[in-house]
Amino acid sequence: MNKTASPYSIVSLSTVSKIYKQGKIEVKALDRVTLKIKKGEFSAISGPSGSGKTTLLNLVGALDTPTSGSVTIEGIDLSELTKTELSILRRNRIGFVFQAYNLIPVLTAFENAEFVLALQGIPEAQRRRRVMGVLHDVGLSGMEHRKPDELSGGQQQRVAIARAIVPEPAIVLADEPTANIDSGTADSLLDLMQLLNKEKQITFLFSTHDNRVMERAKRLITMRDGIVSADEEP
Amino acid sequence: MNLVSFAMRNIWRNRERTIVTVCAMALAGSIMIFYGSLMEGFMKVLERNMIQMSLGDIQIHSPGYQNDPDLYKRIEGVSSILAELEQKGFYATPRLFAFGLAASGPASAGVNIRGIDINREAKVTTAYKHVLKGQWLSIKDPKGVVIGRKLARRLGIDLDSEIVIVSQATDGSMANDLYSVKGILKSVGSEIDSVGLFMEIGEFQELMVIESGAHEIAVSNPNNKIPLASATKVVAELVPSYETKNWRELKPLIAQILDTSDAANIIMMTIVYSAVAMVILNATLMSIFERIPEFGVMKALGFSPMQIATMIYTEASLQAMLACSLAIGIGIPPSYYFQNNGLDLSNIGSDSTISVAGVAFDPLWFPILTTSTILTPIIALFIITALAVIYPGIKAALIRPVEAIHHQ
Ligand SMILES: Nc1ncnc2c1ncn2[C@@H]1O[C@H](COP(=O)(O)OP(=O)(O)OP(=O)(O)O)[C@@H](O)[C@H]1O
Ligand SMILES: [Mg+2]
Repeated sequence: MNKTASPYSIVSLSTVSKIYKQGKIEVKALDRVTLKIKKGEFSAISGPSGSGKTTLLNLVGALDTPTSGSVTIEGIDLSELTKTELSILRRNRIGFVFQAYNLIPVLTAFENAEFVLALQGIPEAQRRRRVMGVLHDVGLSGMEHRKPDELSGGQQQRVAIARAIVPEPAIVLADEPTANIDSGTADSLLDLMQLLNKEKQITFLFSTHDNRVMERAKRLITMRDGIVSADEEP
Repeated sequence: MNLVSFAMRNIWRNRERTIVTVCAMALAGSIMIFYGSLMEGFMKVLERNMIQMSLGDIQIHSPGYQNDPDLYKRIEGVSSILAELEQKGFYATPRLFAFGLAASGPASAGVNIRGIDINREAKVTTAYKHVLKGQWLSIKDPKGVVIGRKLARRLGIDLDSEIVIVSQATDGSMANDLYSVKGILKSVGSEIDSVGLFMEIGEFQELMVIESGAHEIAVSNPNNKIPLASATKVVAELVPSYETKNWRELKPLIAQILDTSDAANIIMMTIVYSAVAMVILNATLMSIFERIPEFGVMKALGFSPMQIATMIYTEASLQAMLACSLAIGIGIPPSYYFQNNGLDLSNIGSDSTISVAGVAFDPLWFPILTTSTILTPIIALFIITALAVIYPGIKAALIRPVEAIHHQ
């Protein structure tokens, strides 16, 4: 299956608003956002600080709930799921790459990448085979036994990517994945994600301030004050 | 990666903190093991010195004898009472008491003369085992007496010294005779130590001109076959015209000390362990606070609140296990050492004996290690750990990933 043959949306947001209340002040972080992400996309959300990028990713990742509107993942309306079901959905269908503090410091690269598979209860031998394969794909062969503090920032992000993709999720969400690394490393990380997208049809959704990420995106969603102000496929 | 090795690595992350916490727990645990064994030893001595060395479990007296120990208030029909008691499975021994004066050379002192049936007494009390110097009474040597250690010192006498005993016999005549000191007792009780003088009961009868009867029958309930209260009832029913009391009724203060020793232990443990609970609580909160983003990531990836709480508990349990092994390692050797060699308190007590509620103690204090003196502090340490970790555990379990991941 490739993206053109798949008509249905993996993620669908319909008039989603998110209002944060801080005392008496209300912050409208998202204002009636409607958006669909299809399988195989390689999309970036850009926009100034405070425009609602992280909020949007949190809602898509089932980490937070909208104030109004609905978020659907693979046809399932998240508002109908219990907390436990949301947690299972995250575990099985969504890959996360965070900006920082991604990895668990006491676990090795292998164990970090294996984490979700272990939670899924996949047998050890199978886990091992899949994790070793993915670590090879992200260019970390031979570093399986290193702890995060024995890896560079870029290598750590690669482990995070490996962890995100090894359970074969519907979508990988990455909130500013290149923000904490130097540009050379960022380029090679983007190369990797692009390759994974192209060869394995893994769907990626980023948020970024980074021009290089925007340039590589197949679809660029621009946000301003909680609204999608532009949505283009360059 | 399994939960235990994960937890192990987490507690090893901040070594100093873990070591300090575990040491505090281990110290408290070992103190409580040692303290518990000391108390156990103390209580055993209290019980033994009182019941086994002089009192017996149950005593029979003539009505009013206890308030007014009168030579003439005697129990009659002693041999049939003894036979009946023995038939019911008790051991029993008759005793006769009199006040008198003991003199040796220029020194003299008031004495409480105790006439005992040597063979029977040995089945009821163990005073015969507590001879400091010389020997216990013997039927072959009726003129040989055994005296308390303080009395010996007061009279300035040693083994084989001759003493004159003077008293008033039941027929009104002057009772007096010459005896030789055959043995000096270890500390048995403050009264016996300072005024006790034991002699063979037949000799006593001759001295005091008593044909028959006893002032007291001490009864022992071997191995506590029957509960004390029912044993007392059985004895009382055999001798309805006399007063029957068990040691709890005879020495209510000591019974109370023994009864409340567990409570005292619990209070001590509560104090010590509350401090430890604070240390654990503080350390756990700190370790959780440092890991908020990490817990956020774990929860985002599908770790449930329960799994987070389980992990915190596993980490705490591992520390508790480590602490308990250390506590056993630190607490048992001194207890064991002093159990065998005694803890010398002779610098504390004046006159080299210590007396609690009239019961004398050897200046050597022997702690006693039992399963309970070891296990109680250990189990309590686990419980206190579990309690101390409730709040941090809930706090960690309820961390919201959205906020946690951005918490820096
Ligand atoms: N937990 C929160 N409580 C209150 N207000 C919040 C919270 N999270 C975000 N906001 C507000 O919502 C708005 C959108 O924030 P968001 O983090 O989504 O922006 P962003 O586009 O990711 O910004 P950045 O580029 O700086 O990461 C901002 O005004 C922010 O202050
Ligand atoms: Mg953001």
